[in-house]
Amino acid sequence: MDHSGAPSDGSVVRAVLSGDVDQFSVLVRRYRDRYARYAAHMLGSIDAAEDAVQDAMVRAYTNLAQCREPDNFAGWFFLILRNRCFAERRRTRWESGLENVGEVAAPEQTESALERSEVVRSVQRALLHLTTEQREVFVLKHVEGLSYEEIAGRLSTSVAALKMRMHRAYDRLRELLEAP
Amino acid sequence: MKRLSLYLVMLGGLAHGLAAQGDVRAQLVGRVSPDLLQLVVTLADSAKALRLPDAPLVNKALEGAAKGVAPDRIALAVQGVFGQLNTAASVMRSAGAAPTAQEIEAGAFALGAGLTSNDVAALSETADRNHPAMAVLQVAGALAALGVPRAQTVGLVQAEVHSGLPLGDLTNLPAQVQAAAASGVPPDAAASGLERAAQAHAGQSVQPKGRAKGNPHRP
Amino acid sequence: MKNHGWNDQIKQVLDGERELESLPPELRHEAEAARRQLLEAIDRRPVTLSDDVEARVMARVRSRATARWPRAWRWLSAPTIPRWAMLVPLAAAAALVLFVRTTQVPQTNGQAQAVVGQRESVYVRFELYAPRASRVALAGSFNRWNPAATPLVRVGPDGMWTVTLALPAGQHQYGFIVDGRNWVPDPAAPTVDDGFGRRNSVVSVNTINGRIL
Repeated sequence: MDHSGAPSDGSVVRAVLSGDVDQFSVLVRRYRDRYARYAAHMLGSIDAAEDAVQDAMVRAYTNLAQCREPDNFAGWFFLILRNRCFAERRRTRWESGLENVGEVAAPEQTESALERSEVVRSVQRALLHLTTEQREVFVLKHVEGLSYEEIAGRLSTSVAALKMRMHRAYDRLRELLEAP
Repeated sequence: MKRLSLYLVMLGGLAHGLAAQGDVRAQLVGRVSPDLLQLVVTLADSAKALRLPDAPLVNKALEGAAKGVAPDRIALAVQGVFGQLNTAASVMRSAGAAPTAQEIEAGAFALGAGLTSNDVAALSETADRNHPAMAVLQVAGALAALGVPRAQTVGLVQAEVHSGLPLGDLTNLPAQVQAAAASGVPPDAAASGLERAAQAHAGQSVQPKGRAKGNPHRP
Repeated sequence: MKNHGWNDQIKQVLDGERELESLPPELRHEAEAARRQLLEAIDRRPVTLSDDVEARVMARVRSRATARWPRAWRWLSAPTIPRWAMLVPLAAAAALVLFVRTTQVPQTNGQAQAVVGQRESVYVRFELYAPRASRVALAGSFNRWNPAATPLVRVGPDGMWTVTLALPAGQHQYGFIVDGRNWVPDPAAPTVDDGFGRRNSVVSVNTINGRIL
């Protein structure tokens, strides 16, 4: 139990594993939005993100017995969601037209905001042309605001590999955004 | 136990003699039957002559004893380990390498996990300055133990070594496959995805089947 | 390799690892443009999914819960699982929890790292969920398969048993022994043939960047 009185992730996981299936809704509520922004940027739309988060939550339930650190359910769930996003990317082919790119977040109304939203949309579109790994490091660092060290810890890789990936992403984004 | 005389071949002069025998004997006495002890001592001598590590032989005997397995069966298993060590070392040496004890054990582990001697040869050649053979073989063995099919195991490890990604990424492959399994992705699919990711990182074009040909693009 | 791209120093500014002011004047304008073009154009607004996500997930979860027993039964009745495991509820998978402390100080990666003082060894924690066991031991190549050498300790009321060992780099095979007689592989770890018709669990340890297999 933490100080707020809410049950810890670990105790909820153990309750679910002991047969109290309804307790899983605690984890769903707790984490459903935490990685929604990451999924939305990885997949290019909120709808796709919602499907991915739902699928990942169900997978987390099905495989809950394999969660090694029940008190770090969030980190484990992130990896499941990440796998789901990567799998989605493999299934989807992105054409340069990109009619399927949905709004990542609802657009604002004013004119300068519309102009800004067009700029935002073109960056988001360009992101979808990166490799999945490049897009991911970009999203985790510049959207989610993690440090390279934090990303390396989450993805079990090295800071050096991440920087290499990110710098390629910068180059590619520059090409895409400056294309006539 | 008469069949055990199969391996009672003295291979030339045994330089280490009694001292080495004493080590092995000391570890096994009281834990295995006298006949089995003698067999393992003799195999350990042969191992030394062939420049193979003997610790895996002793361990297999101790394991069998702890599990209450019949001595005949333990003897077969120990001989099996000897065979794997010998095969691994031969394969690596004929590829021009001078494998250390740890590398030979890693190669034997890969064989035990289901890879063939050709696979071990290919992987041993894949190793480079930044990706030592021991790590390459350990990773391959671990991937095979997780259920990644042989050919894909070799393909993935080779793609990862050639991608220019650092060693830590290679050694993390089994954990990634395991994490994928936890989220329902079967090992062969996870391995395919990781291989394509490695190829993409190397700058080769990503192909849905097989491995990309040509020289890896170095960053 | 395509050479068209920003200077490395500009990329370091984008990474947040270099101050714009520290750039030579001829690069500053380009760096500002890069920042505007990339970083300031990102939509960082939080995303909230629709309200019925929870209901949809729980509906699928509940239908799986009722279908779960047949799959679990197949797992429980696999020949390598001893009889006693049948009595353990569905959730009783062993959990192999590995955390790493190394003697080297690798580039930080967000995980706790502490200097051990032992050469090239790594702390590995083994866990087994066995609520009905009266004792659990760990035997493997690292302790010469001695069933008495490494008992696990029961922690908490839930039936979790655990032990932490420093293991040298390399690959180690092991199994758990429950109540002195039943050998149980670790369901969460890869396995190999033990040469006796059963399976050993494998843990691979290396100290490269503190990573483990």
